[in-house]
Amino acid sequence: MSTPETSASRAGGALSGVRVVDLTRVWAGPLGTRTLGDFGAEVIKVSDPRLPADRLGGLYAKLNRNKSSIGLRLDTEVGRRIFLELVAVSDIVVENFRPRVMRNLDLGWDAIREANPSIVMCAMPGFGAEGPYADFPAFGSTGEAMSGVSSLIGYEPGKSLQSGMSYADPVSALNLVGVVMTYLRRSRLTGRGQYIDLALADSPVLMIGEHLVASSATAQTPTLQGNKRPDYAPHGAYRAKGDDKWVAISVTNDDEWQALCSVIGDDRLLDARFSKLSGRKDNEEQLDAVVSEWTGRREPVDVMTQLQAAGVPAGRVATNQDLLADPHLAARDYFVDLDEPEIGLKRYDGQSIIGNYLDKFRWRAAPILGQDSRRVLVNLLGYSDGECEVLGSDGTTVFND
Amino acid sequence: MDNPTEQNERKVEDLPLHGIKAVEAAQGVAGPFCGRLLAAFGADVVKVERQPLGDWSRHIGPFLAGDNHAESSALYLYNNTGKKSVLIDWETDAGRDDLVSLVSKADILVEDWDLSYRKTSGLAVDRFAAENPGLIDLCVTPFGLTGPYSGWKSTPIVQMALGGYLSITGEPTEEPLMLPGRQPDYLAGLNAHNAVEIALFQRDMTGVGQLIEVSMIETLANLHQITLEMDGAVRKRNGHRQSALSTRPFPPGLATLPADDGYVTFGGGSPAIWEQLCLMIGSEDFFANSDIDDTTGFAKLLDDMEGLLKTWMKGRTKREIFLEASRDWMLPVAPVQELDEVLADPQYNDRGLFQEIDHPVAGKAVYPTLPFVAPGTTQTLGRAPLLGEHTEEILGR
Repeated sequence: MSTPETSASRAGGALSGVRVVDLTRVWAGPLGTRTLGDFGAEVIKVSDPRLPADRLGGLYAKLNRNKSSIGLRLDTEVGRRIFLELVAVSDIVVENFRPRVMRNLDLGWDAIREANPSIVMCAMPGFGAEGPYADFPAFGSTGEAMSGVSSLIGYEPGKSLQSGMSYADPVSALNLVGVVMTYLRRSRLTGRGQYIDLALADSPVLMIGEHLVASSATAQTPTLQGNKRPDYAPHGAYRAKGDDKWVAISVTNDDEWQALCSVIGDDRLLDARFSKLSGRKDNEEQLDAVVSEWTGRREPVDVMTQLQAAGVPAGRVATNQDLLADPHLAARDYFVDLDEPEIGLKRYDGQSIIGNYLDKFRWRAAPILGQDSRRVLVNLLGYSDGECEVLGSDGTTVFND
Repeated sequence: MDNPTEQNERKVEDLPLHGIKAVEAAQGVAGPFCGRLLAAFGADVVKVERQPLGDWSRHIGPFLAGDNHAESSALYLYNNTGKKSVLIDWETDAGRDDLVSLVSKADILVEDWDLSYRKTSGLAVDRFAAENPGLIDLCVTPFGLTGPYSGWKSTPIVQMALGGYLSITGEPTEEPLMLPGRQPDYLAGLNAHNAVEIALFQRDMTGVGQLIEVSMIETLANLHQITLEMDGAVRKRNGHRQSALSTRPFPPGLATLPADDGYVTFGGGSPAIWEQLCLMIGSEDFFANSDIDDTTGFAKLLDDMEGLLKTWMKGRTKREIFLEASRDWMLPVAPVQELDEVLADPQYNDRGLFQEIDHPVAGKAVYPTLPFVAPGTTQTLGRAPLLGEHTEEILGR
């Protein structure tokens, strides 16, 4: 552990000195461990030495910056031994295989804990390590369906859609960070390790808690009706000028309604039917027609700026490209430019927790498979150059330094 | 001063945040959801509410008791489990002194004040740190304290529009669709909790607290499945089908389709899954004749595959399809569960995901607890507090 410092900011980031063994693949796991890396933890990705990452498209780059990489066969006796040696000098292990994978490798919690009693291990299975669905596979999209979230997305009753987010993935990524940090802190204070079973399909359930509470007590379920809401009107995405351009407007009280009326300046809105929420809900179609007529002649950004200036909640419906060019995010220095091997300099999303993360000029692009194998084996685990040569030639690891 | 009886019941000393004190002045969902997690992890969370209405989420439906809405909003009850409620009007001088005094003994303050509110209410950014240098001040707001949108108004649909989520959900030719409830608030709440845990960890080493900012818009921007740059392409909404994640070819096969009694979501994205799906529905020939590398033929391939799947799904329930696909074919397939089905789901219940909580006004209801299992640590949630229920206990008056 590092010596105490007196400043609120630590040069290497809040988590410098923390070591994470990262076995996660695909999406939710890597996004979660990315946050730990952004905050200065040493995140060591352990990957099969025979399977170099697919870097094209930039998704691997997005999810794996600020991490190191060691290639290691976990299914050989010597590879497994090296893995447990790495666990012994680390603080956190994260994996997102199906439950039987770690069991079959004899790398379940008992083996991990034996190697390091104070380690925090987080497994991220689809449905959980135990239970009737334990062995079933799950993706972010199927976890979303299971959780009830998809049942609340749609234009009309009885016809549900999925979100475009594979929602179980991002929510699980956020949960990963919170839960491992909580138990890591206790581990540092007490020396006690912890096993955590964080199921992909559980995470989105917590995001609709109020609807589940209400459903359990009174059998109330929200009616599927697009973007319409019982307490707000006008409320929705309105067509703006241009091809597939939209702007969201969300009037939550009568003051905002008055402000909207004065910005639009259309006498039809002054109709007494519209002056109160109940009337606006009863005549929502006519109301939306007038609002759409106004937005349809304007750029989404102009509608948004004009309405926000008058105190009306509004936002343009941004695409990924709009988001990348967003002036607010740019003013907050949110983005980061990383020079990626094979794909060059690109702009990526930055860190969303404005705290003591690693200075951005020190951020590193995602690693090449095995670029840190030698450093980990020699500096961290005490292997000799001769031993490394054997481990490289028998395929236990791969060196790309 | 551990009470032995309490120890036996809840094993509070096992909870990771045992001994940590948090004050929550934030309202609604984002800050309170963070506070809910802190309480579930064992922190002592005091929620500060202003008379006469309290947290605004007390007045948002659905309500569990018809005659007393302020104590029976499902939104409030769910997001404030395990906390204490104390009435302090921090917009008055005396109230502000009470708040400062309370926060001076706390480890964490969770608040949602933007810069203009801080100015008008005498809550300067360094107001609390002066009294308590170890304080972690977590400020969670829609847009953050600085930048051109920082004074703007936000609601869930506005936030999802700006954050790029609306544009990728819904039918391609129809109005873009929002996600249910208050997703930007919940996501920011999770991120706020992450920020607090990271800051607590750092404070153990440095002894010094800090102000940390979490905004909804940055939280949302961080969670896209694609690189925002996406080789210059725009990701579009695609109805019941998953939109492409990149400009590169991918094997199709990811959609939500109708069964006899509801919908089923099929996960896809690899040739192996595509092949396995075809085997399951007895259409091996279709797979053998599919050219999954030919991007120009994707649309037709998807239409044909969906046709075959829909025919196969006829006469089957969503649960039968889920079990057959998952258990017999190891395919990522799941039913679109309605809320009552979620509450009754055997896997969720086997994991103890839900807990029944009784409340003196709202009565009994089932609450989601925490989204993970951590063996050996108890995670019993307490109920949400009545407005000002603990004022006397905490302020001594």
